[in-house]
Amino acid sequence: MDITWGAAPGAEVAWGGMIAIYLFLAGIAGGAFLTSALTDLLHKNRPLKVITAGAYIAPVSIIIGLGLLILDLGRPFSFWKLLFNVNFGSVMAIGVFIISGFTFLSLIYAFLVYQPAFAANKLGLTTAAMETAATGSGKGVLRKATAGLGAVFALGLTTYTGFLLSAVYTNNLWSTPFPGLPGIPFLPILFLVSGVSAGLAATLLGSRNCHDLKPYKILDIVLLALELVLLLIFYASVQSVYFSGSTGALFWLGVLAVGLALPLVMGVYGLRTGKDLLIPVCTLVVIGGLCLRIFVVYAGQLFN
Amino acid sequence: MAKEYAMVIQLAKCIGCQACTVACKQQNKVPEGQYRTQSPAIGPTGTYPNVHMYFEKEACQMCKSAPCVRVCPTKASHYNEAGLVLIDADKCVGCKYCITACPYKARFLNKETGVADKCTFCYETRVAKGEKPACVSTCVGGALHFGDLNDAGSEVAKLLAKAKKEVRKPELGTKPSVYYLYEGVVR
Repeated sequence: MDITWGAAPGAEVAWGGMIAIYLFLAGIAGGAFLTSALTDLLHKNRPLKVITAGAYIAPVSIIIGLGLLILDLGRPFSFWKLLFNVNFGSVMAIGVFIISGFTFLSLIYAFLVYQPAFAANKLGLTTAAMETAATGSGKGVLRKATAGLGAVFALGLTTYTGFLLSAVYTNNLWSTPFPGLPGIPFLPILFLVSGVSAGLAATLLGSRNCHDLKPYKILDIVLLALELVLLLIFYASVQSVYFSGSTGALFWLGVLAVGLALPLVMGVYGLRTGKDLLIPVCTLVVIGGLCLRIFVVYAGQLFN
Repeated sequence: MAKEYAMVIQLAKCIGCQACTVACKQQNKVPEGQYRTQSPAIGPTGTYPNVHMYFEKEACQMCKSAPCVRVCPTKASHYNEAGLVLIDADKCVGCKYCITACPYKARFLNKETGVADKCTFCYETRVAKGEKPACVSTCVGGALHFGDLNDAGSEVAKLLAKAKKEVRKPELGTKPSVYYLYEGVVR
């Protein structure tokens, strides 16, 4: 508009990079916790490095994410009011309780996972002895219970990051429903798959060279393929304006090429040839997860 | 009977003088670079001799089904006793969820207080005392009207009864209390 007065409001976005990184970290935290807890509960060999890496990444990621979330508030020091004036119709208000519960459980779980390791270190025991210590004691029951309840919260947390945006029904991109399912929003499903995929990748980065990670690598490839299909459906079901200009470049290059296609090809190649491509593949997946959050947060506001 | 406050904007009478913008600034002490109301020019469109331009007053639409109230996590955004959407600054933490939800871009984060801010229809400072909002009182062209729709004798009720009225983005189902009369304006 080239009129001198009464200019329309500029294209500022209310939620910027800090919120995108927070959504990304919450996804990583949920995915890492699920990887760790489900390994703990279901894997018969209990690969300890996977469990400890995920148990460490989950609370660290969510606490950094929470810090960003609070810093992004107009009044950071009044964040506690979120716990006392609660609008139960607001997805964010419900999310505050999911995040609080998850943070608490992930800290307890990390303590229970690491405590026998600390104890064993003092006694100068080996890794094998640590595993025995971890499974043998009565704390094992408490740890498994924490893993189970925490996994429920982790699922809630990862889908919540999608519901937070999809609940804004005035935003066409964020509230896009799943094609053919009018009542089901797209983003919670997309962010769940992407969050678990990125959280799993981050956990594998932290547990490399220790165990036979082949089942995890296969799972990662399955999740990447699923996410690729979801993104193509997403692309087909929203307006093309979101995929133009700089947000378009971020989507095609960052989300699809770097974050999905490349790790998918490299992951399959690595499995076929037996080459260890874990570090590049997982790093790319994590970067792709971040690009997806930045793309959705910005495109939804810039073109709405 | 309960009141139903409404603002009616007759765009054909607006000369774009921006007195409303200034009156709002003066009444509400809005920080520099931020606005509770603005009246941007739409156009000019067309080629001579058929060139058209009008001004469209923008502010909170005082929705009766407000997306901002629905998403607010702390109930800071609420409906007051007169059904108007207001912000309780004490409860607002500045999360900006309401700003992302408002389809009219009427809200902003006040850079001095850190809380969400927007037009209040001057409810507490003027309307509750029987006056009209500052923008309406000052309007030079007589384009702005304010009153109670439940009072059949009010200026706004009479205007809306006979004119072809529009609300912004009706497809979203927000039920705004600000009505636009485009009669006499070429769009």
